[in-house]
Amino acid sequence: MPFRGAFSVLFQQNTIIAEVVFGLVLAMTAVAVAMSWHRKRHGTEPSRKEKSFRMELSYIGGLLGVACFLIVSSFVQNARDFPDAPDPAMQVQVTAYQWCWQFSYPGTRVIAGGQCEGGKLPTLVLPTGRTIRFDVTSRDVVHGFWIPYLKFKIYAYPGHVNTFDATFYHPGRHIGRCAVYCGLLHYEMDFNVQLLPPAQFDRWLRARGGSPAALRRAV
Amino acid sequence: MTTRISRPLPQRQVPGDRAGLGEWLLSTDHKRIGLMTMTVSLVLLYFNGSLALTIRAQLAQPGQSILSPQMYNQFFTEHGSGMIFTVITPISVALGVYLIPLMVGAPRIAAPRITLLGFWFIAFGALCLIWGFLTPGGADAGWWSYLPLSNSIYSGGPGEDLWIAGVFLSTAGTLMQGWTVLWTILRLRAPGMTLMHIPVFAWTQIANCLLVIAAFPAQLAAMAILALARVDPQAFHSNFWVFGYQQLFWFYGHPVVYVMFFPFVGCAAECLQVFSGVRWFGYSATAIALLVFSTGSMAVWGHHLFASGQQVNDYFSLTSIGLLVPAGIEYFGFLATMVQGRHRYTTAMLFAITFFLQFLIGGLTGILVASPAIDYHLNNSYFILGHFHYTIFAGSFFGFMAGFYFWFPKATGFYLSEAIGKVHFVLMVIGTNVTFIPFFILGYIGMPRQIASYPAGAGFTTLNLISSIGAGFLGLAFLVFAYNVYISLRRKAPAAANAWGGFTLEWATSSPPPRFNFNLQYPIPKITSFAPLLDLWERQRDRAKAASLGDGRTLGEGGEGEAAALGEQLPPPDGPAAHPPGRGGEHPPGVGQEQSPRTPPRQE
Repeated sequence: MPFRGAFSVLFQQNTIIAEVVFGLVLAMTAVAVAMSWHRKRHGTEPSRKEKSFRMELSYIGGLLGVACFLIVSSFVQNARDFPDAPDPAMQVQVTAYQWCWQFSYPGTRVIAGGQCEGGKLPTLVLPTGRTIRFDVTSRDVVHGFWIPYLKFKIYAYPGHVNTFDATFYHPGRHIGRCAVYCGLLHYEMDFNVQLLPPAQFDRWLRARGGSPAALRRAV
Repeated sequence: MTTRISRPLPQRQVPGDRAGLGEWLLSTDHKRIGLMTMTVSLVLLYFNGSLALTIRAQLAQPGQSILSPQMYNQFFTEHGSGMIFTVITPISVALGVYLIPLMVGAPRIAAPRITLLGFWFIAFGALCLIWGFLTPGGADAGWWSYLPLSNSIYSGGPGEDLWIAGVFLSTAGTLMQGWTVLWTILRLRAPGMTLMHIPVFAWTQIANCLLVIAAFPAQLAAMAILALARVDPQAFHSNFWVFGYQQLFWFYGHPVVYVMFFPFVGCAAECLQVFSGVRWFGYSATAIALLVFSTGSMAVWGHHLFASGQQVNDYFSLTSIGLLVPAGIEYFGFLATMVQGRHRYTTAMLFAITFFLQFLIGGLTGILVASPAIDYHLNNSYFILGHFHYTIFAGSFFGFMAGFYFWFPKATGFYLSEAIGKVHFVLMVIGTNVTFIPFFILGYIGMPRQIASYPAGAGFTTLNLISSIGAGFLGLAFLVFAYNVYISLRRKAPAAANAWGGFTLEWATSSPPPRFNFNLQYPIPKITSFAPLLDLWERQRDRAKAASLGDGRTLGEGGEGEAAALGEQLPPPDGPAAHPPGRGGEHPPGVGQEQSPRTPPRQE
């Protein structure tokens, strides 16, 4: 659920580890070059040592430790993204097709569509502060429902509904994209995500003949 | 002392021989089959690389129309499929076809006719792929060809049919060659060549061929499903088949990534040892790590589908992250070997070092996206594009280049120019990093892969322009490389049997090797470890020290026949790399026969 939060915690932590590892390997390479230069200068022979069981074992131990740490933090953040008992306050249905999107709000007759071609993007309007259940599916081929701001995507399959829950905290306007190559106009298959404060969202829904209460009941 | 091949083998001097094309195309000589496969793949590399340059030209600025969207989709489909199915994967096994019999002291490859058939399958597969690209309505479903996009409803036209045929053939061809390489290592080793005495490269080929054998049949099955879905699209329209195809495809599609990796680790490892003058550090640890690695990499395919919402992601996260352990052991070997040695910075050595460093960027970003919480965002973005171009291109291809410069003298009898080689190397390093570093940032800020264009306001412009400029450097690098091969084959700076002071058996025979690899003139030396020629050299040096002679020249006369028998097989004092070949007719020294003008460093 907290896709943004889980992503940034894990991405920052793992990037720092990766950078340290890369730095260490670079440093060791530099040491090796310096040692080789030193050997050449003093005419020393290269070493004939070809294994060190103790060093290798402790190194493998270290690697296992790092791997365990990364695996556990991966599990922890993934569990945050998909909690056991989410409590969504509303639902939206996302339908992908070649080559655009349609968004509908169950319990109401509100449907948001558009033409992706030529930049008339469909807009998915959502409230902040409420947990939203997304039902993602496709009418034809496999697509990918990606909101880069949310740091989350999920594939849209024909004949299958994928579900996830997300909460947004700040009003704003963001771009969404198709993340699975789906044919000729894949590159134009963008959409807007408009995040409104709850009261404003309810007004928006009523203006289109939808009832916020019905939307809640339909979950 | 010397182990000799029991029966005298017919000797044919390859350098002078002018075999006709037919003799090559029907040859059962593993060296010819290996070279033919690699030549076809290298030609295709230029073809598919020029597609990539066109793609980069299209993306250099927003909203360009150098390529129509349809053309663009065909271009990236052929670039990806061509590079994976007909360039890097065949090369990875073809390296084994050429080198493995030489390295394990076998006169031939196991089942040479099947190996040859494999070459034909790959060549015809490549032909089908290109045909499917050039035909009107060419294949444009991407290299995954997910259902239902690739069925006859959504991709009409003959392009996709030819694509399926091409992928099936080339995969089957590589599968055949994988079997024969593995069988050669397991069954045709020379006396004394125990499994723990095979070179590091041979271990990487074992890991590689095991993956080929285990994973490639899945791709053949996946292609069969695609072909049936072209006949009856409705039958394969349900989610079971759509998702099932993805699972089956990635069950092949992930292991093939390691097929495109292991042999190049082997190339880089052989170069590192020789140009550091030391044995690979932690040989048995590396061998075990490779086996663990190849087993483990059969269990990670699901990480390509973290965002599919239809599988247990934690399991694939566990296995994927777990792979850092065997990978880390290989890096331990790399660093420890470097630290022990006295380096010679030949072009091959520079490519080998860069292979490990640049691959590390691909590997570390791979561990990043092995966490689902990170991959949900970066999956199918330019970040992933950056990640796998760092593994396959910045990594594996650099490893291949190391091997190419290293074994070119063995295969042809001539050195590649070191001076041009270094220009090539510098251009490659600049081009690779300028092209692919921006991909990581582009993916992070939300650029999906496989898009034919992007709007001006998306914020992708500057980084794409930088990347396209880098691609220009890569194009230049490949021209320099082609020029180097051309000019070096014309200059003919001759290479000795042991061109670089190598440690393994292929350096004990002539350059290029005779028809059956070893003969009375070039017998198989005594195999005492995975670096038999280095053992020989060190034994002699130790005896010399004991006798206080301090001069390698007199060693062969000390009652030990092996040095005299081996003549030029000995590792050279400081390697002929000190002589840039082809300059003013200066030849690399006749290795080991005479004391080189320079004092051999190992003898000081």
